[in-house]
Amino acid sequence: MAIPDALDRLLQALYSGVLNGSVYGLMAIGLTLIWGSLRMLNLAHGALYIAGAYVAYGVLALGLPVPLTFGVAVGGAALIGLVVQVVLITPILENPGRDSASLIATLAASIVVQSAILLLFGGQTKQLPPLIDGGFTIGTTLISYQGLVVIGAAVVCLLLMSVFLHVSRRGLAIRAISQNMDAAKLMGIPIVPTFVVVMVTSAGLAGLAGVLLGSILFFTPSGGFTPMLMAMVVTIFGGLGSVTGTIWAAYIIGLMESFLAVYVGASWALPGIFLFMIVMLVIRPNGLFGLGEARRL
Amino acid sequence: MIGEDAEAPRPGHVLALPPGMERGTLTRLRPTARPWAETSWLAVGVITVVMLGLPWALTRVDGGNYITHLIITFFVWGIVAQCWNLIMGVSGIYSFGQLALFQVGAFTTGVLSFAVGLNPWVSIWAAPIVAVIAALVIGLPTLRLRGIYVVLLTLAFHELLRNWITTGPQWISGGGYGLVRVPKLGFETVLGPQYEKVFYYYTGLVFFGLATYAIWRILNSPIGLAFTALRDSEDYATSRGVDPFRFKLFLFAFSAFFTGLAGGFSAHYNGSASTSLFDFGVMINLLVMIVLGGWGTFAGPIVGTAILTFLTELLRAFDLYRILALGIAMAVIAVAAPEGLVPLCTRAFHRLFDVFFEPDEPPARETADQPNPETRSTPRDG
Amino acid sequence: MLTVANLEAGYGGSQVLHSVSLHVGAGETVVVLGPNGHGKTTLLRAISGLIRLTAGRVELDGVDLTHLPTEQIVAAGVVHIPQGDLPFSEMSVLENLLVGAYRPAAWSERRERLERVFQLFPLLAERKRQLARSLSGGERRMLALGRGLMSSARLLMIDEPSLGLAPLVIEQVYETIHDIKRSGLAILLVDENAEHVAGLADRMYLLEAGVLVREGPAAELLRDEALLAAYLG
Repeated sequence: MAIPDALDRLLQALYSGVLNGSVYGLMAIGLTLIWGSLRMLNLAHGALYIAGAYVAYGVLALGLPVPLTFGVAVGGAALIGLVVQVVLITPILENPGRDSASLIATLAASIVVQSAILLLFGGQTKQLPPLIDGGFTIGTTLISYQGLVVIGAAVVCLLLMSVFLHVSRRGLAIRAISQNMDAAKLMGIPIVPTFVVVMVTSAGLAGLAGVLLGSILFFTPSGGFTPMLMAMVVTIFGGLGSVTGTIWAAYIIGLMESFLAVYVGASWALPGIFLFMIVMLVIRPNGLFGLGEARRL
Repeated sequence: MIGEDAEAPRPGHVLALPPGMERGTLTRLRPTARPWAETSWLAVGVITVVMLGLPWALTRVDGGNYITHLIITFFVWGIVAQCWNLIMGVSGIYSFGQLALFQVGAFTTGVLSFAVGLNPWVSIWAAPIVAVIAALVIGLPTLRLRGIYVVLLTLAFHELLRNWITTGPQWISGGGYGLVRVPKLGFETVLGPQYEKVFYYYTGLVFFGLATYAIWRILNSPIGLAFTALRDSEDYATSRGVDPFRFKLFLFAFSAFFTGLAGGFSAHYNGSASTSLFDFGVMINLLVMIVLGGWGTFAGPIVGTAILTFLTELLRAFDLYRILALGIAMAVIAVAAPEGLVPLCTRAFHRLFDVFFEPDEPPARETADQPNPETRSTPRDG
Repeated sequence: MLTVANLEAGYGGSQVLHSVSLHVGAGETVVVLGPNGHGKTTLLRAISGLIRLTAGRVELDGVDLTHLPTEQIVAAGVVHIPQGDLPFSEMSVLENLLVGAYRPAAWSERRERLERVFQLFPLLAERKRQLARSLSGGERRMLALGRGLMSSARLLMIDEPSLGLAPLVIEQVYETIHDIKRSGLAILLVDENAEHVAGLADRMYLLEAGVLVREGPAAELLRDEALLAAYLG
């Protein structure tokens, strides 16, 4: 189907923007939840993301059917997140030096996971087979069915998370802890177990993002770093701790990135985003819907 | 601190700012700012003689040249580790841009000496200067913001620089591997190639000594106290008249200077400025050096670098497992002994041998936990 | 019901409470009076587990609550309504109240409890979709009280309900506390002002400089002229 060039490029940018945005959303939600409730930056997030892809890969190699691999991958990533939370994070929660300690601890976890993956799977690029093969073209844009699956799955998950956080008891508890820790304690909300829930959920989401994107792009053991960086940008742009803001921000950043790539040049995408972020941090440090913690001196 | 709501300083963690520190004025240096008065000159003398004579001795030994190489590596990374520790451990600025600044130094002198043709001894001094400029450029927007934003922005800078250097114009990217033909410092003509490393050793020693001394002076000055106060409780320090931003910017630039210098030296010593030094593995290595030795202490990074440099050699066969082991080590330290080896050993040392020393005088005035440094009876362990 | 024995607590290096002992019987309303900064809030925070005791015991009907995490103390039925209200500012009034019913037992009855709270505080019912941070001082106080009532509290600890409120609003708040008392709940209330306490308190304590200096039936303490002069108005 031939369409005018301008529309063609627009479509290209829109499609990859929405695709990227969906995945960033899944990753960023986890980060913003951890930040909101634990007041911690989880540097292991990228590793959890890539672990999802690799667990799926490994499970496939063992011969399990494809749809099942999604569940196992998410479970695997969630499990790693659980271990990190229980072994590394919980012991240091009460320490006075917990900010730097948590940075180091999550960084350490990230290294351990990545090098374990490297040892187990080797360093060559891999890819996961798609759930649905094929696609269709509009102009020069290839819209693969798998891509639509990814977008659909991500959107569903994001909506579910939103609902969970706003309607369910535990979701309310997580939001309560983010907004006022002492008050949350006084409501009888168990703090440490809720942290574990947050971490596990966040890890599971990251793993899901990894599996989804792994079926479209290639991945390597160190491939989680850049998506994590983008997720961090999204989290900050959307406002630390705000889930609604994060979802909006994910798609905005995703679209921004793809528009930059299509209209200016692929190598300008990343620098452009970072530049935008720097400008934004200087002008409006709280992000879109920020719950307000970036203080200027 | 990352995300701390503005609240009262945690009791016991706040140092009383020395009189004269308020409003940023400096009065007469207190005894703690003249620690050279307490140093054992004998110890320094012995160490100096040993360090000066070592490379010559090593040329006589089989494989000695390799050990010299290791020590030079130790010099290079020891500088960077100390600089990074100054920012992160001592002042609590969570910057991950140290490696990028190192590369700025390396590539600056590399390009200047190779592509432009400057004498390496001239271009090497451009390295720290450009690094400082880069630090100021990053620091101005970044250092006004709180913890998590600094992490992100410096990581972004690292990534951006890596991207540009790797995929950029040929004169800098060398096809993605970096510069592979950086001119050396011309030592091989002095006494012959077998003594080449000796001179690199001395150059490295001088740089290392300069950096270490400068950092030592800063840590033991009122400025150093201000930095520690900033780390422990920024709100309190601000309320006492310490301007965090200017201090942070100064510190950032200061540590960039020596890091850039180390990068430049490394480029000329190795004869290349490699893009592989952007790898996360290198950053982890560096981080472990600081964390293992003693986060925020003076001797910590030095000890950590020494341990790691020689350990890396021993474990060279197990390279794949090395990074895994480093990760596990870091995790263990973060949970079990976040202060690192130096403070741990110092405390153990004191517990064992305290009976030989006079007891410290009881802590005075506002601070509950920290003993007044002036009354410390044992000489400062570096 | 609630027994506190020789409690000592403080912040960091400084000790605030010195060997404080008190008790609250079932259905009783006990008021602790004291000047500001003398430890009333510290006392409640120590009982509810927000800060650690350095010595002493806290018991509820024989169950040892000392050193338990706050969530278990709340589960046992001791609900602390904090000074300053501590609302969840980005949540609506309704959501704030729902969080109050977090514990499973209360959660399953949340609709009934919500009804009761809205009857007690019609103002909150009007504003139920409003964000907590847009409420006035008095409304936030009501919200804090309502939130506490959403739980399965057996003992309500109320910290300075009159703090920062206009006299008319204080009256309304204390009226509501009277209603709560009438419903049979045990109450431990601390305040610096004795004005509204008559008719509410069964027994009273006086806390000065972290030490309980007087205790006795409310009627007796309220007849004391010196005390009235110090703690009224």
